[in-house]
Amino acid sequence: MSSEVTQILNQIESGDRHAARQLLPLVYQELRRLASQRMLHEKSSHTLQPTALVHEAFLRLVGGEDSLSWDGRGHFFAAAAEAMRRILIESARRRNTEKRGGDWERAKLEQDAAMIDAEDSETLLALDEALTKLESEDADLARLVELRYFTGLTVDQTAEMLDVSPRTVKRNWAYARAWLRREMEGDS
Amino acid sequence: MNPSERTIFFEALNRVDPAAREAYLNNACGDDVALRASVEALLVADDQPDNLLDRPPVALSVAMLSDADQSAPRVDVIGSMIGPYRLMEQIGEGGFGLVYVAQQEQPVRRNVALKIVKPGSGSKEIIARFEAERQAVALMDHPNIARVFDAGITADGRPYFVMELVRGVPINEFADAHRMPIRERLKLFGDVCAAVHHAHQKGVIHRDIKPSNVMVTLYDDKPVAKVIDFGIAKAIGQSLTDKTIYTRFFSMIGTPLYMSPEQAEMSGLDVDTRSDIYSLGVLLYELLAGATPFDRDRLESAGLDEMRRIIREEEPLRPSKRLTTLGTKMTTVSASRRVEPKALSSALRGDLDWIAMKALEKDRNRRYDSAAAMSLDIARYLEQQPIEARPPSLYYRILKFSRRNRIAIATGTVVVLSLILGTATSLWQMRNAMNERDQKELALQEIEQFAVKVTRAHALIANAESHADSAQWRLARMEFDAAVEQQPSYYLPWISRAQFHIRRKLFSEAADDYARAIGLGAPTDTPQCWGVAALLAWTGHNHAFTSLTGQLERHLESNNQIESWEQLRSGLATGDALSQESFLKIADIAEARLAEMSRPWPGGLPLGFRQPPPRAQDILSRSEDSPVARDRHGQRRMIEDLPRTVCEYITGLAHIRSGQLEQAIQRLEQAQRDDRWPAVGLVHAPLALAYHATDQDQQAIESLRESNEAVTQMAEQLLDPAGPQRPTPWFDFIELLQLNREATITLTGETPIIPPQLAELRRQALQELN
Repeated sequence: MSSEVTQILNQIESGDRHAARQLLPLVYQELRRLASQRMLHEKSSHTLQPTALVHEAFLRLVGGEDSLSWDGRGHFFAAAAEAMRRILIESARRRNTEKRGGDWERAKLEQDAAMIDAEDSETLLALDEALTKLESEDADLARLVELRYFTGLTVDQTAEMLDVSPRTVKRNWAYARAWLRREMEGDS
Repeated sequence: MNPSERTIFFEALNRVDPAAREAYLNNACGDDVALRASVEALLVADDQPDNLLDRPPVALSVAMLSDADQSAPRVDVIGSMIGPYRLMEQIGEGGFGLVYVAQQEQPVRRNVALKIVKPGSGSKEIIARFEAERQAVALMDHPNIARVFDAGITADGRPYFVMELVRGVPINEFADAHRMPIRERLKLFGDVCAAVHHAHQKGVIHRDIKPSNVMVTLYDDKPVAKVIDFGIAKAIGQSLTDKTIYTRFFSMIGTPLYMSPEQAEMSGLDVDTRSDIYSLGVLLYELLAGATPFDRDRLESAGLDEMRRIIREEEPLRPSKRLTTLGTKMTTVSASRRVEPKALSSALRGDLDWIAMKALEKDRNRRYDSAAAMSLDIARYLEQQPIEARPPSLYYRILKFSRRNRIAIATGTVVVLSLILGTATSLWQMRNAMNERDQKELALQEIEQFAVKVTRAHALIANAESHADSAQWRLARMEFDAAVEQQPSYYLPWISRAQFHIRRKLFSEAADDYARAIGLGAPTDTPQCWGVAALLAWTGHNHAFTSLTGQLERHLESNNQIESWEQLRSGLATGDALSQESFLKIADIAEARLAEMSRPWPGGLPLGFRQPPPRAQDILSRSEDSPVARDRHGQRRMIEDLPRTVCEYITGLAHIRSGQLEQAIQRLEQAQRDDRWPAVGLVHAPLALAYHATDQDQQAIESLRESNEAVTQMAEQLLDPAGPQRPTPWFDFIELLQLNREATITLTGETPIIPPQLAELRRQALQELN
């Protein structure tokens, strides 16, 4: 797995656009696998920080490879951020929505219905919606938010990955943060 | 996004001093009010504490990730693109594939539902068929239909369909979860009919209507139904008529419960809109009775051929009847419709039964010819108009029955006799007898026997009645007894004999027979049971009496039309027959009817109204000593035949029962003044009760005395039918006895003696019989 991800990251670096698509499912799968594996050894009431999970996944999948540039790591974290966002939103949706979509039996949604409490899931869905809107207006800004929020990268790390100055990250973060807040409050 | 908005925001943020910030904003935004407002909103948002983004995302708990490993196939595609759609989340899995929430990027960004069909079912044909129908599908535009946007083939050759994402729950689950009453369910179902009709008009047949394809969500607290998957079943299922893939077809469609007989047949017979009507019928049936016409377990565990046979041949129970087969589940089903089990059953009985059964006809020519027609019938029901659906005629049912079972029952005889006697029920019994037997042979034997017994019993009754008409009482009695013996579990012979007993003034025998008939489910809202309530009360048949008045009570509770004064009167025989509420309702209905009667009709009657009722001079024509003034076959004499005086009396009685004593006295005194009414003596006992309750003791005692006199007088008349005065109808006499007893007990605490004339009548009658 580790080498496969590194390989993909290298391919991305060398300009293979197609490779980026393969990254997301791998990271997604790894995140879920990792989490559930960790959970087996913890108490059932234990919770994991999503951001911690992402970093652990990174260490496992690409950690040992020094050959990667920060740009390559950036792709990993971008994929991880998106994967984590999706994992959380899926859970929140399951928490919130009932069965839909026709003759399709619910895919065992009941079991994880309790994983995120109702208020959290509402907030998450609202954030997701606002973020999607931000994406359509300024994709870079949305990517910044995903990176920082869902993977827990610091300002400096983010700056390094996005190849901008920390000051720009700070300013853009402040703007996106206010923008999303305004968007979410406007809705409610 | 407005770049200058961002710049202004940064600059303003740099100015911590409020005045400096204000000055900057004035300058930067100028007259652009919108820009200023949006920047201000950003600044406010920035300043607010507790921003979601300042905290790490919510923690993940074990449960969330528990199925992570099993979900490998889902992981494969999450995030990947299918055409212009990005898969976001899997939301379901069904017989023919998986369904996802997907994000569409072009031409509009929106979330859609994307169904991917399992591989290996002829992708190209499916898509070709869908393309053929696409034009029609695209034409559909209805608020209750989920749009189908697109179809295509994935890179690995699997067909997929893209449609409007509908968030909701299947209609039956929604209705139960919200404990929707029957009327609400019917209205929601009407919307579904409208949607299906719209599609039919555009030439699109659904072919797979079932609860999970009719989703309901709340919009502004109003339930809105959406029919999903229009046009998809055709694409997927149509060419699968070959027997070898037949089995797979069922597994793909999922459930045969909603499948029409012609679909189950799969004989190549073209499936048309009427197949959807059938499925709508099943849906309605389930919404009403809480179960599908055929038992889910039975149908799904039956072999393929057996299942086809059941769908094609077996006649399902009516919804009201099906309800009673649910056992303990019936309580749950009723509770989720906010009624008592018995009330639910009686609400379904009749119109709603027939509407559902008409849609479920095996022969599609006999179903509603459109979803609109079905919806219209439901609307008629809701507005208490006569519906189009009717129980299939006896003749039709017998024909179908005998043809299907190829048994040589004496069809002609049964048909003729049954029609003459108007006994649709016997056929229902016949059919139920069959349904309840697993072993066909045994059932057939029983049906044959039943048919033979029906024939014999009806012949006996016909003979008995003609003997009675020629005063050959002994013969008549023997034949009635034999008829009862032939069919002891069917109410009609009992009623016939009861009427005979009434005719012979053998009141206690008559009461026994009526009680049996009611116990066997005889309808009590027909003229044959008028006056029976008082008879049962007077003879102490409490159980049958309660069952009779209970039916009236439910009738009143469900606000059904009460057609006759006599029916109202049935509930007034005792003070505790009905609830206070029902008594008040009767009093209200009675007053309203009286008001209608006294309304003058200048320039003739409005359409649909009969002539105003005659006054009491016409009463004599009604006073036969045969059971109630009506013809032998139970033809109704409608309320409008009743003289106003009698109506006033009934109204007065209703007021007493509902505790409105002043109105009671007013109405009864009014009735009392009309001495042309032979049974005017009836008013004294209720008057005595009313005076007594209002502390007018002197008048009460006087009225009771007059009531006692009336009893004697009427008893004398009965004993001497050839005397100067025609005798009172039996039901007036029995009611008088009942009310007189009530008044006597209330005023004096003593039970009055039974008039000696009755014992004499009885002696004479028995002598003639033996």
